[in-house]
Amino acid sequence: MHPLELESHGRAPLAGASSRLKLLAALGIITLTALLPRRPHILYLIPATTLLLLWPFCRMPLGYAVRRLLVAEMFILGIALLSLVRPAAAPIFFSSLIKSNLCVFSMLLLTWTTPFQDVLQELRRLRFPAVMLTTLALMYRYLPVLGEETRRMSRARASRTFARRRLGTWQSLALIIGQLFIRSADRAERIYLAMCARGWK
Amino acid sequence: MSAAVEVRKLSYQYPQHGRLALDQVSFSVGEEECIGVLGPNGAGKSTLLLHLNGLLPEHVAPAPSIWIGGEPIGPKNLDLVRQRVGLLFQDPDDQLISATVLEDVAFGPRQLGVEGAILKALVGQCLDQVGLSGFEDRQPHRLSHGEKRRVCLAGVLACKPSVLVLDEPTSDLDPRGRREFKALLQSLPGAKIIATHDLELVVDLCSRVIVLDEGKLVAEGATRALLSNEELMLAHGLEKPHSLMHRHPHGPASPVS
Amino acid sequence: MVWSCDWEPAEHKQMHLPDGFLDAKTALLSSGVGVAGVGLALRQVGNSVQSRQMPMLGLGAAFVFAAQMLNFPIAGGTSGHLVGGVLAAILLGPSAAVLVMTCVLIVQCLMFADGGLTALGANVFNMAVVNVVGGYFVFKLLRSVIRMEQHRATVFAAAFAGWFGTVLGAVVCAGELAFSNTVPWSIAFPAMANVHMLVGIGEGLATGLIVLAVLRARPQLVPSGRDAGFTLRSGALGYGLLICLGLTLFVAPFACPWPDSLEAIGARLGLPSQTTAAPLAGYRFPLIGSATVATAVAGAVGTIIAFIAAYALARAVVPVFGAPKKDASTGT
Repeated sequence: MHPLELESHGRAPLAGASSRLKLLAALGIITLTALLPRRPHILYLIPATTLLLLWPFCRMPLGYAVRRLLVAEMFILGIALLSLVRPAAAPIFFSSLIKSNLCVFSMLLLTWTTPFQDVLQELRRLRFPAVMLTTLALMYRYLPVLGEETRRMSRARASRTFARRRLGTWQSLALIIGQLFIRSADRAERIYLAMCARGWK
Repeated sequence: MSAAVEVRKLSYQYPQHGRLALDQVSFSVGEEECIGVLGPNGAGKSTLLLHLNGLLPEHVAPAPSIWIGGEPIGPKNLDLVRQRVGLLFQDPDDQLISATVLEDVAFGPRQLGVEGAILKALVGQCLDQVGLSGFEDRQPHRLSHGEKRRVCLAGVLACKPSVLVLDEPTSDLDPRGRREFKALLQSLPGAKIIATHDLELVVDLCSRVIVLDEGKLVAEGATRALLSNEELMLAHGLEKPHSLMHRHPHGPASPVS
Repeated sequence: MVWSCDWEPAEHKQMHLPDGFLDAKTALLSSGVGVAGVGLALRQVGNSVQSRQMPMLGLGAAFVFAAQMLNFPIAGGTSGHLVGGVLAAILLGPSAAVLVMTCVLIVQCLMFADGGLTALGANVFNMAVVNVVGGYFVFKLLRSVIRMEQHRATVFAAAFAGWFGTVLGAVVCAGELAFSNTVPWSIAFPAMANVHMLVGIGEGLATGLIVLAVLRARPQLVPSGRDAGFTLRSGALGYGLLICLGLTLFVAPFACPWPDSLEAIGARLGLPSQTTAAPLAGYRFPLIGSATVATAVAGAVGTIIAFIAAYALARAVVPVFGAPKKDASTGT
């Protein structure tokens, strides 16, 4: 279950909502949260309740949310702990912690209900630069292809790896990534030809 | 009536390593003809196919050596040539560039200025033609290899080409996929040029074949006669197809001498 | 075959800022310089990149993303991964790399909820502009100064630039945190700089090795130091100014060890008065000063060590006279 596999949870009530609305709502909630006072405050309940109320309409499983929040926590806690090393730091520490988690949670809800291609559509309507749009679209399309290619190469490499040396592993990873780049460049060339063959200018 | 494709003394040298990839190749293809292009790996088959679409040479040659429906390929008519000649690439992942099947099939017609409801209808019709009705909203990375190939073909058909050029159309397909793809190709009108190692496909589809080796056209002739010439086949990294070895399709196989 | 994926970014080892740590002024300012950097890159790419190379931007972005998924083992069962900004700059050119890294960050943010939305501008500036172009500046500089066999010089410059770009990006990130008054500079700077001087070693090593792998297999894909100049026309001046602007905005206010300037800035930014209250003044400012100075010294030492390490790496992995070593495992 994953953002790339969005068809699998396409039935959530909010998945059908306009993606512009969802993007704006997420942006609104996150901006509001970021602008709230930097100490735990009653106002923090506004984004918190909004998100809790929205959650059931997104059908995002609890396990997924917890797992992703925990992953994000590594970094959030890291920075938050740094902020502790100062006098009277507790308010800033707790407010950063709460704010960050609320924001991550809104992003999780957004990405869970909004396929990336809808985001792309929205960006297109917002007149995002064409070069960036093409790059994003091609990137989205070829992520799985390159991922599969990486996996095949890693597997082939692993089947011929008999001894474990750390630098050796690094070198073979570098070879895989180097090879991946070469294949990407070759594929880019073939894609260019295929696009031209269908009249692209 | 002019031939669908006419190639006269086509030569090409790769600028990177200077190797002669095509050496004075000449042949022609009739309006409804289907020909096979055979040859070992590296014989220049793919290079030839790229030329048919005006993708090679990088800088258009001073004198034309390819005519599509009587029109010489030159810098001025590249768009026309690319619309008339539909090229199906070997790896469907190279060709499928959009996030959804609908977007991808629409890619070609959009360049030709087709939009809106007409475009949608055209896409539906092309998907129908390749047996993938209702696949509009699917994502390419969730399709099987055979389905990807069909979507690519639909994207090519959407430009309404008069000549289909296919690079290894059946590689990586399972037997059923191959059979279905073959039937699909058989059902399509227009001239077809198929570069392949799949000799059974050639036997079933192509009336004529040309054999390339090291950039040269080494043989040309009717499919069955040419493929039965075992000496010629072996000399160019090919072999006599299984179906031509027995008199009866279910009889005992005659030993290869 | 349906592609089943496990693309979740399992571990965060990048300096992706989440939402909630930057205040409004920092988010806006850093977005401003970030957007300016991307705008400059768009202009450069529009001027110099031919339509033939357009698909390479998308594939390059997918490549960086895929490369980030591979885990490099570090000591004690931990592992890290490549960020790839400097690598992209070396392989694709700086402006293309800025766009590629920006797209990677956008996808990470909007598809994987990885990195904040209000912090996107700051992340773009740190990781797609400062890291990429800063590293590339150093790469070009070293590449043209060092007199070594060509491949060896490229690997050396790439490894050191990979390290440098990582540290530079982290320092700007620390500056943004301090500028937001979230983490005091005296803590943010040493923590971020020291950690990333270590992290950067991995980035540099990987960058060097990958550039070498591409050099061996397909040397023409790595633009050689001579023909791909980073000149005024290719935006070097613009990028340089932007990075300087970023450093001036986010780092310079804190970098000077004199308490006067800090106090003045604190007053100007309306810092809560208790931080400058009497009991603190006594021990806090020397601490800031000493921590900054200590980190600066550590930075200098770290730079020298990284420099030597990169040199040693290049000597170790690139054979003399550039005769490609027969490597049985290069085939795929």
